[in-house]
Amino acid sequence: MARISINLLPPEIMVQEIKKAKFYRIQFIGIVIVLIMIFLSSLTLALRILQNQSIAAVQATLAQEEQKISKLKGTQASLYLLKNRLSEIDQYFGKSSQQASMYKLIDKLIPTSVLINAITIDKSGGAVLLATAPDSLSLDRLLNNLITKETNEDRISQVSVETLSRSRDGFYRVSLKIKP
Amino acid sequence: MKKKTIIQFYNHYKLYIFPTAVVLSSLFLIIFAIYPQTAKLIENQKVAGEMQKKSNFLASNVIALEDVNSEDLSEKVGITLSAFPAEKDYGRILGLLQGLVVQSGFTISSVTLGNVSGKVGNASSYEVKLEVKGPKILFQGFINNLESSPRIIRVRSLDIVFVQASEILDTSVIIEVLYSPLPQTFKGDSPLPLFGQAEEELLISLSNLSKINLTASSSAAVYSQRGKVNPFE
Repeated sequence: MARISINLLPPEIMVQEIKKAKFYRIQFIGIVIVLIMIFLSSLTLALRILQNQSIAAVQATLAQEEQKISKLKGTQASLYLLKNRLSEIDQYFGKSSQQASMYKLIDKLIPTSVLINAITIDKSGGAVLLATAPDSLSLDRLLNNLITKETNEDRISQVSVETLSRSRDGFYRVSLKIKP
Repeated sequence: MKKKTIIQFYNHYKLYIFPTAVVLSSLFLIIFAIYPQTAKLIENQKVAGEMQKKSNFLASNVIALEDVNSEDLSEKVGITLSAFPAEKDYGRILGLLQGLVVQSGFTISSVTLGNVSGKVGNASSYEVKLEVKGPKILFQGFINNLESSPRIIRVRSLDIVFVQASEILDTSVIIEVLYSPLPQTFKGDSPLPLFGQAEEELLISLSNLSKINLTASSSAAVYSQRGKVNPFE
């Protein structure tokens, strides 16, 4: 059976009722929003209180560790010192100086027949060599050894003959300037 | 009368007044409570995290430092400091050179201590001029002994005169003796240095060399007596 609804209220009351319902909805939403805001404010405040407590605990642990480490400062300083010395020593230990290497190289390159009178190796690694060769072949071999890249290990850039003389006994006396 | 007017005004505009009051109070809470507390919360979280990290780091440092054998450490520091001291050590270098020269089969003609300080890389240095005599065949060994001595020294220049008849060398060697000041500061909260295999090997080499040198120096001291045994002879 179909139901018939008849609104007998005057239209002004209808408008007023609609307005009222709208206001109640707004009021409800507004109260919910304010409650949410209050809840959020309380939550953040509570979280901050908890956080402050945990920070205080961490600070206490940190202070304890700092105290412990200050007691071990001597050991720590010794470790740093050891590291510093080892890294400094590592730069020089077991590494031949340019001068010593140059001497070893020249000594290796001199033919057995050639006699060395003097070797001077200066601070820049350059050398002056005074030698006596019994014949031109030995002298030739000495010069060849000094100037050839394969034999001088590419560590001699220039060899200049400063003086060269031949004595009555046939010996060659030569003064060589060697640059690294 | 006034109250009635206000009530009337509210009733008339309550659809606007209430939402405005809600918005204003919400804004007030956001601006003065929620936002600053949240910002502080995030900031403190970072600070707490850093503090926790530092605390953990210090705790691990404490454990590592407590495990260090302090006697062994001070012995190692002693070895490295005698190899590469913080300041000029004229007295020690004279003894060391005397030992090395004798050990290499040479004899000292003269020793001159240079006052000039130089720089080799990061290190400081002073010069020692050593005039020695000895067999030519042993000279390379002498140079090797100098450069692999337990004290870090470098050959700066060489002046060698060969006496052909006797196969004897008359040599003047300028040696650079290296030293370097100790680091002045270190940060307590910086990570502990790590020692690799190469550094351990270097320490062992230095330790062995200083032991060998100590033995050689004592034997040199026995064999190279100075002056007469009986001063009244």
